[in-house]
Amino acid sequence: MASAGSRYTSGSDREPFAIEIGPDGVVSMKGRLDASQVAKAEATLSRVEGSVVADLEGLAYISSAGIGSLVKTLKRLQESGDTMTLVNLSPSIRNIFHYAGLDQIFVIE
Amino acid sequence: VNYRRLDQAAHRGLTNVGGDPYSVATMERPFPRDVNQLGEVFDFVTDCFQTLGVDESHRMDVDLIIEELFTNLVKYNAEGTQDIVIGLERKDAMLAIELTDFDVHEFDITKAPPVDTNAPLSERTPGGLGIHLVTQIADHVFYEYDNGISRIKVHKRIGP
Repeated sequence: MASAGSRYTSGSDREPFAIEIGPDGVVSMKGRLDASQVAKAEATLSRVEGSVVADLEGLAYISSAGIGSLVKTLKRLQESGDTMTLVNLSPSIRNIFHYAGLDQIFVIE
Repeated sequence: VNYRRLDQAAHRGLTNVGGDPYSVATMERPFPRDVNQLGEVFDFVTDCFQTLGVDESHRMDVDLIIEELFTNLVKYNAEGTQDIVIGLERKDAMLAIELTDFDVHEFDITKAPPVDTNAPLSERTPGGLGIHLVTQIADHVFYEYDNGISRIKVHKRIGP
């Protein structure tokens, strides 16, 4: 969290990127998914099988590199007739998907 | 915006050219050409926002613009050996973002082929999406190339 009295988010305050597959199979992502975190994201996403829900509630930032890792996963899942549903996107994250034209590709709830 | 020329002297480190508060203020810093420098880049943006008085609501857009341009230079100007200089300048309600790359070939991002955002998933490829996002978020994108120096300038409105 930002330090008291500051409205700016310093480096040490930024939540690091984290991704996990919960016991219910939901993939949860938190923090900032930038290009330096893509390998970490893909290491987990590569283990996803079947239709899956990705909860992005805690995702504060995503770049084209991060989007690419989700697109790569969706392509793999669709080869076997499965899909990926994205839920709990913040308005700014949703805008990025819209700019990329991916709000027509992913199921977003 | 009256751009101050970024040259080798800019490599000496952070500078802040201020007159009246936020009237014209510039900050710039060199970064090694490595994607793993992004954390340092974002810390620099935090410093810039504080010093230049930019509202945090613009943070995601500015971070995204800088990440996409920085990683693009790292990836496509692979022959480059010098640091990439990132500069932010505020003039009233406009934020100017400038990335300068030295001793590289010309690569004009404003001439990059458009991304088909209506293409089906099977035709989606990673290439070009980052620049597309920059053009969607930014108000203006400029490119200059002179004698091995590649310079990308982006204007982003941050106020009325």
